[in-house]
Amino acid sequence: MLKITALNKRYGNGELVLRGLDLAIDEPGLTAIIGSSGAGKSTLLRCINRLIEPTSGTIVVNGVAITALRGKPLRHARRSIGMIFQGFNLVDRLSVMENVLAGRLGYVNATQALTRRFPQRDIDHAFALLERVGLQDYINKRADTLSGGQRQRVGVVRALMQEPKILLADEPTASLDPKTSQQIMALIRELSDELQLPVLVNIHNVHQARTFADRVLGMRFGVMIFDGKGEDLDDETLDRVYEGTAGRGENEEPGDASWLAGAKAP
Amino acid sequence: MTAAPRPRKWRKPSAIANPVLRYGLFVTVFAYLYWAVATLPINWDRILQGFPRAVRIFSNAWPPNFTRSGLMISGFTESIQMAIIATVLGVAISIPVAIMAARNIAPPPVYAVGRAIIIVARSFHPIIVAIIFVKAVGFGALAGIFTLMLYSLGFVGKLLAEAVEEIDPGQVEAMKAAGAGFFKTLIFAVFPQILPRQVGLSIYQLDSNLRASAVVGVVGAGGIGGTLMNAFRRFDYDFAFAILLVLIAIILISEGISGRLRRGLS
Repeated sequence: MLKITALNKRYGNGELVLRGLDLAIDEPGLTAIIGSSGAGKSTLLRCINRLIEPTSGTIVVNGVAITALRGKPLRHARRSIGMIFQGFNLVDRLSVMENVLAGRLGYVNATQALTRRFPQRDIDHAFALLERVGLQDYINKRADTLSGGQRQRVGVVRALMQEPKILLADEPTASLDPKTSQQIMALIRELSDELQLPVLVNIHNVHQARTFADRVLGMRFGVMIFDGKGEDLDDETLDRVYEGTAGRGENEEPGDASWLAGAKAP
Repeated sequence: MTAAPRPRKWRKPSAIANPVLRYGLFVTVFAYLYWAVATLPINWDRILQGFPRAVRIFSNAWPPNFTRSGLMISGFTESIQMAIIATVLGVAISIPVAIMAARNIAPPPVYAVGRAIIIVARSFHPIIVAIIFVKAVGFGALAGIFTLMLYSLGFVGKLLAEAVEEIDPGQVEAMKAAGAGFFKTLIFAVFPQILPRQVGLSIYQLDSNLRASAVVGVVGAGGIGGTLMNAFRRFDYDFAFAILLVLIAIILISEGISGRLRRGLS
């Protein structure tokens, strides 16, 4: 479903943010990526749908080498990759329904978008999903009148409207209070199971990663240094993932294998 | 305790640190001002003669003469028509220009063209533009409409481009992630964000064009300005005064309405 090979990303002339990263996701379920700020988690996710241009490497999503595409084929490939954002990224001044239908923008034409005349099938789907997440009473409310948890539900529904084959979630609960955050993670987990959808979640909350994820990846300075089940995530591993601050690994060689061997961190 | 320390002095540091430069600048400015005043041909006799002339003009202007109201009504009708047509067309053109001139949306060559259009539209005062258009298309309202269109394009285009540059990039990112292309992203993520600014600016510009339409008439570009200029030429000061009073009334009314509308929006 997702295969990333030797992915490098460098902003301008700076340090490599992603250093020869390899990752494969072959089955549905929830994969959590943990790692400190600056580890490259957001960059990785945005490389997958090419919101950020990788410097080198290949990414294959559902059999399509997305790194080779541009223009219309790229936009078509993006339709099958849903994304949920930390800041929700809803269009504040539009209604909940319009925000949800925005998930269909890759399928409808510009006139339909301008006049908001979406196909009946899309509208039915939108109603069904909004009911599924409990927002059926907010359909014509403006997005900026909703609470944080409600907004992120709209964000989730918008992503699902794309009928994605894979879902990316960039810190989906980091802007929410602990209780709401737990509810949103549970919702994403349930939907992943219901739709047999592989979900890749960047997350800061290690407890939630353990609770909700089938597979946990530990990322540090642009490479994966842990790949396993939530229960294998012991304190020693967490120390290695979170040790030091973002600036401290700059002396490390890209993809230094000693990290995997559990060598002492700098 | 050792010996009492000497009181330490503190003065606010001067804006220009170098004393030679500082005092040199003072001397230069005063020398220039002295030279400018000394060499200007200020003729006190003419200023003194001006006072009785002003008294004569004002005494002839009172009471204002509204007897030729037909001429006045047709002049004001034309001015208002010019203002409305120019606002609608000018604002309509300013939207694509503003998109072109927004650094965050437009690719660099398009951005350069967009900025260039705005700079050219803004570089001349409406009076100068009106003179050129009167030469080009002849006396009358058409020249005035062109002038006010260009004026609206420059002003609304510039401020709208700034509004586009200030939009939340997250909403644009979300549309891209859904596979939307350029126009669909504009429709769903950019226009909703700039709409309040757009409406506010249009109302302000209508107000502003109403005022400017009286001015461009002075150089022959149609509307009440021409009537006003003729009244002055024929020493009909009472009629001119009547026109000025109505002009003030119309501007007050339009300002009141537009202020209320813009407050209602925000």
